[in-house]
Amino acid sequence: MKLENVVKKFGDFTAVNGISLNIKKGEIFGLLGPNGAGKSTTINMILGLLSPTSGKILIDGIDMQKDPQKAKKDIGIVTQETVVEPELTAEDNLMIFGRLYHIPQQELKKSIDFALKLSDLEGFRKTYAGTFSGGMKRRLETAKALMHTPNILLLDEPTTGLDVQNRTKIWGLLREMNKAQNVTILLTTQYLEEADQLCDRIGIIDHGKMIALGTPSELRQKIGMSNVIEVSADKEDMDRLKAIFKKVGLEPQVATNRITAPGGSKATEKIEMLVKAISASKIAIHNISMHEPTIDDVFLKLTGSEVRDQTGEDTSRTRTLMGR
Amino acid sequence: MGLVGDTYTLFLREMLIFKKSLGTNFARALLFPIIFILFLGSAGSSPKNVPISVVNYDNGLSALNFINQIQAGSSLKVTSATTEQQALNLLSKGTVAAVVVIPTGFSSGTANEVYMYLDGSQPQAVSVVTGTINSVASKFQADVVTPNAAEKGSQGVSVISNYAYGAASNYESYVVGGILIMVAAFGSVFGSGFTVLSDRQLGNLKAFLTTPINTSAIFLSKILIGTVQSAFSAYIALGIGLLFGATIAAGALGFLELLWIVFLTGLGFGALSVALASRMKQLQTYALIAQSTTLPLSFLGGAFVPVSLLPATLQATAVVNPVYYAINAVRDIMIKGYLPFNALVINSGALLIFSLVMIAIAAILFKSTSDQI
Repeated sequence: MKLENVVKKFGDFTAVNGISLNIKKGEIFGLLGPNGAGKSTTINMILGLLSPTSGKILIDGIDMQKDPQKAKKDIGIVTQETVVEPELTAEDNLMIFGRLYHIPQQELKKSIDFALKLSDLEGFRKTYAGTFSGGMKRRLETAKALMHTPNILLLDEPTTGLDVQNRTKIWGLLREMNKAQNVTILLTTQYLEEADQLCDRIGIIDHGKMIALGTPSELRQKIGMSNVIEVSADKEDMDRLKAIFKKVGLEPQVATNRITAPGGSKATEKIEMLVKAISASKIAIHNISMHEPTIDDVFLKLTGSEVRDQTGEDTSRTRTLMGR
Repeated sequence: MGLVGDTYTLFLREMLIFKKSLGTNFARALLFPIIFILFLGSAGSSPKNVPISVVNYDNGLSALNFINQIQAGSSLKVTSATTEQQALNLLSKGTVAAVVVIPTGFSSGTANEVYMYLDGSQPQAVSVVTGTINSVASKFQADVVTPNAAEKGSQGVSVISNYAYGAASNYESYVVGGILIMVAAFGSVFGSGFTVLSDRQLGNLKAFLTTPINTSAIFLSKILIGTVQSAFSAYIALGIGLLFGATIAAGALGFLELLWIVFLTGLGFGALSVALASRMKQLQTYALIAQSTTLPLSFLGGAFVPVSLLPATLQATAVVNPVYYAINAVRDIMIKGYLPFNALVINSGALLIFSLVMIAIAAILFKSTSDQI
């Protein structure tokens, strides 16, 4: 999958400002970015829902603008909103989408069986999807996206709101598809540890531009952080803590209720100084720790914000829609 | 696969969903016509015990005999009043549906008429009263004179002659014809536009657009499912209407002829509702606008009151009202019992043009909003 200098403007507002990306076959790629960074717009363009103002999108060498029907056939999509039809059985849900993806009639039954097995829902073939739990719906949705054996799988926050068990199941399913069928996976997520664990490469978008691109370990090195010192405390104490960090010679990054700073080679000394200064100031902190940089730290450093706080309202919105 | 295959797949999906809640859909289709037929007061046979007031100025033997005779069939319930003014007061209050005045000299033969005051706001009562009084009066060789009731303005006997149905038909057939078209219009408004909105809210439209289908299949399937659902509802309404005494003058063939008209009506209103839903995000707004379009169109198109009885300015709107043509066609089939070729061409043609124009508008509006999904 290839994006060549893609730009999307809505009137005067430039949502995506010249993104170029080359995702290799069989790669798991994570696209991260705060809300409003242009993530959804980029994905909608890859899906053919929006046309770019300028630039080119190639799916397996097929231009999405020139031959959308052929290009779309190559993509499977799992969206943030779970769009299984509650008034249809698991089997009928799959049957309809199999037909919409133009799976030939004679292969349709086989594809449905394959998808039911994949999603571990074989026992619920004739059950209406409306009675399924959230995790079962998401699994059905994921299987629905895979039943036409696409080369590219696009997942928009596939595990948001899922419990650990279902999340692990979906991760397993993705890894399996990736290994067994060499499916290219592009996913967005608000769980940075998910991106860290699953993805071969990560791209971070902010203000419509790609601000960082590389493997998780490359990104960690790139921000030059080692031995990250992290303090979490009440929101109200952030300003005072920031001042203390500066006093002991650290460069603080402030998130909602935590502060991080690269400790460098003298991290142990710094943390001692920090503990003394904090106890002298009588601020009640929740936690203090030192760890290797995570993608969270990279993200915070690069965008100045946290993914999860920004997307929190987004996830609650998706579940409030009424049924028929 | 192409457009036809894609449209069929999406149509199949709608049918499976429709089938899932068939009971609910059936009940909904049942409720509407029953309520309308009952409310329009045409369920069952002609009314009994219609209250009238008789003023007997004669008090002779023939006059008493006359009163006995009009009470005989129990279709009228007679109370007597001493003065004409007293009786007219009762009429103006709506306590009685008519006043009959027997003048002095009725028994002696010097006065050979009775006077009748009618309340035109109760048309069914009026027809019972005039029928009974006229038939009794003919035995007495007395003329029935019907002066205008002062308090009721011009609503004397002249109102009766304004009825749109002929001697060969009944009011049930008239009303059921109107209900049929109204149910067809509402059925597709529910089946088409409403599901466009709910599918948009649930993210289904977005999901369809990410599949390699011909995007026109989406709105076409929506229009089709609305059309099928409207035919379903309309035929249930027709069945109920027949139970309540409506007749189809065109006979068995009339069933098929009605299906053609119902199909065209459903198609046009389905497309209209998809066009409306393309521009909306809120179900409430859509329901409001769809209802405030369909309901007035039904009334102005003569679903319950003949267009000829509407004010002149409103009568003129019938020319561009698809319901008007649909109802004319239905009345041709149900009441007149034959399809005059000219009328068939005009009515079907008008509905066909309406449907095609609406499908074109729906196509343009639906495509232009795909970007906002």
